[in-house]
Amino acid sequence: MTPSHTYEVFLKADGKSEFRHVGALGAADNEMALMLARECYCRRGEGEQIWVVRRDDIAIADSAVTEPNRHKGHRQNDGKLVAEHRRQLREGS
Amino acid sequence: MRTWTDLDDFQDFLDAGGMVEADDDMPEEYRSEVFRFIEFHANSELMGGLTERDWIPHAPGLRLKQIFLAKTQDEIGHAHLLYMVAADMAVKTRDEMIDDLLAGKSRFHNVFHYRAETWADQIAIAFLVDAAAFASQRAVFAKCTYGPYKRILRRIVGEEGFHMRHGEEMLLKMASGSQVQRDLFQAALERWWWPAVQLFGPDSPPDDPLLKWYVKSERNEVLRHAYVQKYVPLLHGYGFTVPDDGLHQDAESGEWIMSKIDWAPLKATLSNSGPDSERRLANAVRNHAESAWFRESIGVSA
Repeated sequence: MTPSHTYEVFLKADGKSEFRHVGALGAADNEMALMLARECYCRRGEGEQIWVVRRDDIAIADSAVTEPNRHKGHRQNDGKLVAEHRRQLREGS
Repeated sequence: MRTWTDLDDFQDFLDAGGMVEADDDMPEEYRSEVFRFIEFHANSELMGGLTERDWIPHAPGLRLKQIFLAKTQDEIGHAHLLYMVAADMAVKTRDEMIDDLLAGKSRFHNVFHYRAETWADQIAIAFLVDAAAFASQRAVFAKCTYGPYKRILRRIVGEEGFHMRHGEEMLLKMASGSQVQRDLFQAALERWWWPAVQLFGPDSPPDDPLLKWYVKSERNEVLRHAYVQKYVPLLHGYGFTVPDDGLHQDAESGEWIMSKIDWAPLKATLSNSGPDSERRLANAVRNHAESAWFRESIGVSA
């Protein structure tokens, strides 16, 4: 028997929306995975296009990899200091 | 992958609105309880879908046959999604879950342990049982801390909404039809009212871990009470009688108060010894054997 693979399924609605992950399924090959994706995740036309990707082919980075970039405040600016200055100017103080 | 030092640490994470993902090192207590809950839901969708299927040939007219075909595909689809999510919790494989179900070792919703006797029963199921399942699933979706389950519940709840609306439309036609049709539905209501009310389960225990972990967002008795408040007036409005001699409206609050619920029938279904459990399981076993050639041909296991 052909081995079954786990596929992750992504759908893109029409228009400008991005592909979104909707779930997973088991299938023997890409063609079967696309057909099952249509019948499992797209029965009411939820997507205009489908991607299926073998789970084994996905490279994964967890929080150990993303952690360093969670502490780089210098890449953001909440604008509070300037907003406060402008507010004071408006109120004439 | 996230880890927690102990159950208190994990509880703090959940209290702060945390969402658990499949690859997290979640506490074993959480993993096994949530897994059991999802497996129960998956089994129920599969057993429900199989009975819907049995009624497709009996559905009166092409539109209703199409509706029941679509509904069957939805229910089997829900089972599929739920088995995927449950299998990813690495407690049992999908095949083990199916094997346990077919061997009578697992549980599924009480309502699928009764026999639908006439077409009106299917309408009662769509109107009453789907609505009860919808209310209970929506309450899980509301807060659900297990991410993969919450994401597929959004879809399941959406589709159950279609089933409920089909159910009430079918009921409307029966209620505005002939006396024979009204009598058929009244008889079906007498068979399905109590199982539908019991679907919510007995009152939640004070320390229900599924409530503490925000898998359930509401206590069983609260959901059941809200359901009764909504469905008693609806049924009365269509001209039917709720089969409960003790049912009355509280003079002050206006709330509908039911007779005391006899939980023995629910308990029987939980050990797979309900009125129709044996036949339903035998049907599921036969269906599984008859469809083996298809699974083999597309290369998926058991």
